[in-house]
Amino acid sequence: MEQEQLYSSSYKGSKDYTQWDVPVANATGFGAPADDYAEKGIDLNEQLVKNKPATFFMRINSDAMVGAGIFKGDVAIVDRSITATNGKIIIAVVDGEMLIRRLEIINGKKKLVPATDKLSGISIDDMDLKIWGVVTYVIHSV
Amino acid sequence: MRAIVDCNSFYCSCERLFRPEFENKPVVVLSNNDGCIIARTDEAKEVGFSMATPYYMVSDIIKKNGVGVFSSNYNFYGDMSRRVMETLKHVVGEDIVEVYSIDEAFLDLTSFKNSDLNSLAFQLRTTVEKWTGIQVSIGIAPTKTLAKIANKIAKNNKEKSGCINVLDSPRKIAAALKSIPIDELWGVGARYAEKLKELGIDTGWDLYNVSEEFARKHLGGVVGVRLIKELHGEEGLIMEKPLITTKMISTTRRFGRTVTELEEIKEAVAAYTSRTAEKLRRQHCAASIINVFIIANEEKKTYPYKPGDTFSTQIVLPSPTALTNELIKSSLSLTEKIFIPGRKYSKAGVIISGLVPDTSIQANLFNAPSKNAGRYLMDMVDNINFGIRKDMVKFASSGVDRSWKMRQEFLSPRYTTRWDELCKVH
Repeated sequence: MEQEQLYSSSYKGSKDYTQWDVPVANATGFGAPADDYAEKGIDLNEQLVKNKPATFFMRINSDAMVGAGIFKGDVAIVDRSITATNGKIIIAVVDGEMLIRRLEIINGKKKLVPATDKLSGISIDDMDLKIWGVVTYVIHSV
Repeated sequence: MRAIVDCNSFYCSCERLFRPEFENKPVVVLSNNDGCIIARTDEAKEVGFSMATPYYMVSDIIKKNGVGVFSSNYNFYGDMSRRVMETLKHVVGEDIVEVYSIDEAFLDLTSFKNSDLNSLAFQLRTTVEKWTGIQVSIGIAPTKTLAKIANKIAKNNKEKSGCINVLDSPRKIAAALKSIPIDELWGVGARYAEKLKELGIDTGWDLYNVSEEFARKHLGGVVGVRLIKELHGEEGLIMEKPLITTKMISTTRRFGRTVTELEEIKEAVAAYTSRTAEKLRRQHCAASIINVFIIANEEKKTYPYKPGDTFSTQIVLPSPTALTNELIKSSLSLTEKIFIPGRKYSKAGVIISGLVPDTSIQANLFNAPSKNAGRYLMDMVDNINFGIRKDMVKFASSGVDRSWKMRQEFLSPRYTTRWDELCKVH
């Protein structure tokens, strides 16, 4: 993991804290034995936002992807820096409207596929399809 | 070499990002209070809108042409600007990016080989556009002034240039200077441009060929000499260190309607003061001087725009402070001093200066020792206001219904900074 971080040119996430931000017990008596092992704790940003300047949040406002576990009212985390490949769930712009769909590429033909029986897929020429970003996570309240 | 990276129609591009139906359509952004046009896309330029046109003069044309109109949404633009700058820093390195304004950054490309500059610029442009959705133009040249010229030329013909222009030879620099009119040169204001034209200097190239003596005499001394040096590829302007703190902080707004009552103006001033104090605390400073001004209404809607009379005054605070309640106390008494009954007012503002770091407020013998309690209260107020909603907790003097608030009829959601205003997808 260390090695990978060192040599990869990819964005290093939102870890902009220093060692001073790591909490210590501040015990007044005997120095707290756990201080040597202190960590920052779990930060959701670190996991969910891999590339901060390219990551946007969006609100799901349809049932188009219920079959994929994405419901109305959920928050989609969208990373614009990721390349959209076959099978990825993406935000696409069709006729000036933002849609969340699964991208299907078969023999070079692109199609936007919903995860519900109530809607049909949209096949598109390369010209008409504008990919806004790739959905990486969905936050769903239970 | 130096580069300037400049976002194309930045405010409009931000609005378009979440409203793709306006792709390739004219879009304009209005100033605070929806006064006049402050940003427009190329398509809007073609429709014939010019900068600073008052909105009421063109509202019909806007409707007829299906132009996208937006009130300025600085929360949103500020966040998008941070994203663009962060992307630039990611590609070329943190230390060589100098953020120059909300939509411009200078890059110090000394460590890059000249032969790599075209491909570097291409990588910068495509990465920023892919990551943030904002298109940028990039000008590269030996000095900042020449880079600005390169950028301008790239922007004038986006299709041909691909929004990139590298001036890496004396021949290219000469051609660029010959094509740029004097009034479009960076650092030459309208007044100097007039004067230079009278002296027979019409292009950047004419200015390139004047003597140092001429510049000293006609172009404001050292500043002029520096400009000529810059045109010759010698650095007169160095890369600035990033500003750690600003020297003054202000909050100025135009009222949504004209205001005549002292009480209403005091409410507005109190609200602006608390906003200013928030900005102050965010950079861990305390202020020693506070200045309040109110501007009277201009009598008629005239074009070009003539501002009304300004009334302003300031005091030096007994000791530097960052506490909203102390600052409000001073700003309200100043307001009472400058208010003249019977006039109509359209704008007010609060400026604080004489900033010192909050941690090292010099002890003053005549002041009660500790202000820590107040500081904790302020931190709590700020945490609530930043974390939950603006103005959740506020000082009663800043009013409850705020009828004087800015007019923002076409305000877009704060897509990137508020949970309840996220962009909706179907």
